[in-house]
Amino acid sequence: MTAPLLECRGVACGYEGKPVLEDIDLAIDRGEIVALLGGSGCGKSTLLRTMTGLLPPLAGEVLLFGEPLYELPNDDRDRLLRRTGTVFQLDALFSSLSLADNVALPLHELTSVPEPVIREMVGMRLALVGLAGKEGRASTSLSGGERKRAAVARATILDPELVFCDEPTTGLDPVIAAGIDAMLLRFRAVLDGTFVVVTHELESIRAIADRAVMFAHGAIIARGTIGELSQSPDREVFNFFHRIPEQPLPLART
Amino acid sequence: MHEAAITVERTGGSAVVHLHGDLVVASAREIYQTLRAVARGREVEHVVLDFGDVGRIDSSGIAIVSVVGKELERQGKQLELTALRAAHRAAFELVPKSTDQPPAERAPGALERIGDRVYGTRGNVGSLLGLMADVARQSLAVMTGKRRLPAASVISQISRMGVDALFIVGLLSLLIGMTTAFQAVTQLQRIGAGVFVADMVGVSMVRELAPLMTAVILTGRTGAAIAAELGTMKVRSEVDALAAMGVNPVRFLVVPRMIAITLVVPALTLIAMFVGMLGGMIVAGIELEMPAVAFWSRMIARVDLGDYVHGIGKSFVFAWIIGLAGCHLGIHGGRDASSVGSATTRTVVASIFFIIVVDAVFATVSTMTRYP
Repeated sequence: MTAPLLECRGVACGYEGKPVLEDIDLAIDRGEIVALLGGSGCGKSTLLRTMTGLLPPLAGEVLLFGEPLYELPNDDRDRLLRRTGTVFQLDALFSSLSLADNVALPLHELTSVPEPVIREMVGMRLALVGLAGKEGRASTSLSGGERKRAAVARATILDPELVFCDEPTTGLDPVIAAGIDAMLLRFRAVLDGTFVVVTHELESIRAIADRAVMFAHGAIIARGTIGELSQSPDREVFNFFHRIPEQPLPLART
Repeated sequence: MHEAAITVERTGGSAVVHLHGDLVVASAREIYQTLRAVARGREVEHVVLDFGDVGRIDSSGIAIVSVVGKELERQGKQLELTALRAAHRAAFELVPKSTDQPPAERAPGALERIGDRVYGTRGNVGSLLGLMADVARQSLAVMTGKRRLPAASVISQISRMGVDALFIVGLLSLLIGMTTAFQAVTQLQRIGAGVFVADMVGVSMVRELAPLMTAVILTGRTGAAIAAELGTMKVRSEVDALAAMGVNPVRFLVVPRMIAITLVVPALTLIAMFVGMLGGMIVAGIELEMPAVAFWSRMIARVDLGDYVHGIGKSFVFAWIIGLAGCHLGIHGGRDASSVGSATTRTVVASIFFIIVVDAVFATVSTMTRYP
C-alpha cells in the first residue's frame, strides 16, 4: 500500500476565521476518481480551494504527495502544485489569448520544451478533448462546452498526477456532459492520473466516480462507493441520491 | 527516475538512436535538439529509435517522436520505433494524432487595413448616433412621465461625479488661477499695466481655463469610471440581463449618468471659475499689493455675462462628450477582460481630443463673430 497522493488530517476550512467544514479526514489514493458531493453551500468547493493551495486551512494539515502543503516555502509549494492541475468552475480561460496559447501557457511559463514540440503537444491534447483544428480560435469565441474542455486540456497539459475539477459538467447539456465524463475517464487511462471531482450531477457521479464523499452540516456525513451510498440508511444521503426534496412540497390547491 | 541520455550510432544511411532514461518535460529540449540534428543529417535515410532503455514517457516525449516523424516524412525519410514496451505502446496508441493546423490566414494588406478602419469607424459612428437618439428618446419618455427614471441612481451619480470631485477641481483651479496671475503680473508689469491682471485672470478663467480644466479632470475621473463600470457590466452580462427583463439599458444606465454629468460639469465649472479668480486675487494682493476690492471691481467691469455664457455653454458640450464617450465605449465594448481596459483608455483619449477640438471651434467662431 503506497501513501495516499493527498491527505487531509483534521482540516477545518472556511473564510475569515469562520469554518465552513470542520475536522475533515480524507485520503485520495493514486489512480482513483473521487467525487466530493453535497448540496449547494455545503463547503465542497471551499475544501477544494484548501486542497489546491489557494486557501490555508484554519486547523489541521494538508499533505500533498506526502508533504505538508501549507508549511513549505513558496517555491517548494509551487513545485508541488505543478504536479497537480485544476479545472475551475468558471473555466478561467484567459480571454486575451487564443485557445492554443491558453493550453500552452503552463508549458511556456514553466518548462524549456522547444516551440515545435509545444505546438505538437497542444495539438495532441486538443485532439484528445475533441477540439482539434480550433487552435487559433479566440477563447472568447468558444461555446460553454468547448470552454470546459479547453480548461481540462490546459489543466492536464503537464501530465499532472492529480487533477482537481470543480463542477466540470454543471450547466452543460446531457450530451456534452456525458462527453466530458468520457473524456475524464480517457484521461485517467492516458495519464494514469487521479481525479478529485466536485459535482452534484448524479449522472456524472455514477458514470465516473469510483468513490464518493458526501458533505453536509460542516462535516463528512457519508463515504463509500456509489452503490453503497445510494442504498445508505442515512436519510439525507438517500434523499440526495434519489432526488427527494427535504420536505414534501405544499400542494398549490387546497 | 534517472537522467535522460541519448547515444547515436551511424551505419551508412541509417542512424540508430538509443534513448536512455525518462522521456519527460525536463529532458524534452535536449532530446528534441539531438533528434532534429540526426533527422536533418544529409546522408541519413532511415532513423531507428531504440526504446529498450526508456523509463517513463509523458506527453512531451510522445510529441517529440511525432514532430520528428513528421519532419522525416517531409524529407522522404523513414522512422522506425523498436523495443517498445507495452506501456510505451499504450501511451502512443492512447494519444490521438494531432491534426495539421490549417495554414494561417494571410495578414491583411495596407489597403485592406485602411478599408477595415473606415468600415469600423462608420459602424462606430452609427452606433454612437443610435445611442444619442436612444438617450433623447428615453429622456423624452421620462420627461413626459411615460417611463420612470431611477431617481436614486441620478442622485448617487451626482454625488459621486460632483460632490466627490469638488476638492480636486477646487484645488487645481486655485493653482491654475494663481499660476495665470503670476504669468500676467510678470508680463504686464513690464509695460506698467499690472492692474490689468484682474482682466487677464478673469477672462482666461471664465472663457477658457475653468471649462477646460474641469472637463479634463472629469474625463479622467468620471468618464473613465463610467466606461469601466458599464464595460464590466457588459462583460458580466448585466446589460443583457436588463434587456432580457424588458428594462431598457439606455434608460436604466445611460440616462441617469447623462443627466448627472449634464448638471455636474457646468456646476463644477462655475465653481472653478470663482476659485480661479480667488487664486488670482491672492497673487495680485501679494505681488502688486492690490486690494481685494480693486481686483473684484476690475473683474466685474471686464468680465461680462457673454463670457460666462461662453464658458458655461461650452461646459455643457464637454459634459455630453465625456458622458457619451464613456457610455458608448463602455456599453459597446467587447466581452473579454482586456476590453474594459481598452474602453477606459479610449474614453479618456477620445474625450480629451474632442474637448480640445470643440474648444478650438468655440474660440474661433466667437472671435470671428464677436458673439458672445
